[in-house]
Amino acid sequence: MASLITCPHCGTRPKEEFSIRGTALSRPHPTASEEDWHAYVYLRENPKGRYQEYWHHAGGCRRFLIVDRDNVTHDVFSVVDAAAIGRLSE
Amino acid sequence: MSLTLYHRHVLEDYLAGSEAKANPNHLAVIRRPAIFSVLAHRGHEASVKETLTSTDGALLRDCAPGEWLLVSTASGAAVVENLLGEIAGASLADQSDGRVLLRICGPNVRKILAKCVAVDLHPDAFSIGSSANMLCCHVTANLARSGADAFEIIVPRSFAGSVFEEVMEMGREFALTAAFAEG
Ligand SMILES: [Zn+2]
Repeated sequence: MASLITCPHCGTRPKEEFSIRGTALSRPHPTASEEDWHAYVYLRENPKGRYQEYWHHAGGCRRFLIVDRDNVTHDVFSVVDAAAIGRLSE
Repeated sequence: MSLTLYHRHVLEDYLAGSEAKANPNHLAVIRRPAIFSVLAHRGHEASVKETLTSTDGALLRDCAPGEWLLVSTASGAAVVENLLGEIAGASLADQSDGRVLLRICGPNVRKILAKCVAVDLHPDAFSIGSSANMLCCHVTANLARSGADAFEIIVPRSFAGSVFEEVMEMGREFALTAAFAEG
């Protein structure tokens, strides 16, 4: 069974068009402590179940997306452009 | 010292000795298209798209939000570059020598492309004029529907040989032929 991801720009595409770039974490403030930066760069929860990841649509629009999915059931809850999220918090 | 440079298409060797007569399913390799990559600056996406859409003799291909390929087989790259130079809020790069334009058409074109891309190309789902970036034979390509049973594929030059061979392989059961075309 092919895993299908619906890109907000390109439509429904097979997972082969994407490269998974890991958990979508919010970036610490530039003046945050070394511990915070260490955690941001190296530490990952690797949860079983629902979580958010960065997916790069390398074979399509080449945009970074945030995919909210369940890695047990393969249910996808939402796919949004990461820039849209970033601009909301600006 | 003066240098004489000859234009030599990257698929020249692949097409040497191919049949002279085109079958109903045919792949045309456009010899010298003008292809420009255009990126709109933030906030100028709509106005840039409007300007590009009204550029004479050029076709617009969607790549991503605020990013397009402008293709012209009528005018040379220099002419198109002059035309585009005046667009406010956009950056462009000449990709004419970096991309290869393939035009595939025929009654079985969807059956051939179904083995190359993973996107629904049914006439109702992919209307004439639609275009998008997608993987085509494992290569990131831009695919556009240019007619009822006609599609255009733009691939990076260095991958053109591989894509060409794979498309021809997929078209073999439908007697797909290939040849150069001027425009
Ligand atoms: Zn996409």
